[in-house]
Amino acid sequence: MSQNHNPAGAAENLIQEHFELEPSLERVIWINPNKTTEIRLLEINPESPPTGSVLSFYFPPYEEFPYAMKIAEITPEEWEKILRHEIPLPNGWTVDNYKAYSRETVTI
Amino acid sequence: MTAGQNWQAAFLRQARSDWEAYQKTTELEWPNCQRLHYLQMVTEKLSKAFLVAGDTKLENLTGSHAAFVKFIRILSGNRNLQRALSMKKPSQQKAKFKALLQLAREIELLAPALAQGGPNPEYPWEDPSGNILAPADHSFPLMQRLQKTPQGIQLLKYIEIFLKRFEELFM
Repeated sequence: MSQNHNPAGAAENLIQEHFELEPSLERVIWINPNKTTEIRLLEINPESPPTGSVLSFYFPPYEEFPYAMKIAEITPEEWEKILRHEIPLPNGWTVDNYKAYSRETVTI
Repeated sequence: MTAGQNWQAAFLRQARSDWEAYQKTTELEWPNCQRLHYLQMVTEKLSKAFLVAGDTKLENLTGSHAAFVKFIRILSGNRNLQRALSMKKPSQQKAKFKALLQLAREIELLAPALAQGGPNPEYPWEDPSGNILAPADHSFPLMQRLQKTPQGIQLLKYIEIFLKRFEELFM
């Protein structure tokens, strides 16, 4: 993984790799992209088991990827409910500021 | 330590204790329901130890038993873990974890709240013929598949690795 020296480059490399690895991944939402200390992603995948909640997992930084990551996988229906504020986001997350990526908008 | 770190340490401590109990309930001396009960609790608390550091709301953790499948799905794309598990390519890791999802799902569904009134390792249930069955009398073929199939053996091995190396891999 190259170009991981800034959060934007690192996040976009990661998102691209996840699209490559997961054929059923529909969209990735980068929550609060201005935050420089960690990368928070919502991965929208219709194959994800629905739970009606957002379960976000933490990954610590490592040498090649020097940013903490918090990643949750949700279904498209759960994303719609998040936008309607029917499903709460994890503590400190908001949909006031996010970037959305689809398979078409990343270079694979 | 922050409150989140305290919760994480507590979930991890209990997951390790449940794993110890699982390992002590040997096949010859204990019914499968007891072994699977411990195993289901290990996987749930292990997943929650990982979740609590990810800003997940505490009420979502305590009120849900469905975390282990998500845990395995999310781990399958992590590069740091790929290196730690000595896998050559991300696609190899993805495929390997994908093959474990069915068993992970079956373990998750052992929680009585998710078993939908069917077989579970804790409480009696009524079968479609109207017979009332106790977990202690049920064979739970899942246990055999965990111990005898390559995917089952692999999944148990990973659970043990994640428990032993949690601080190194996930903190």
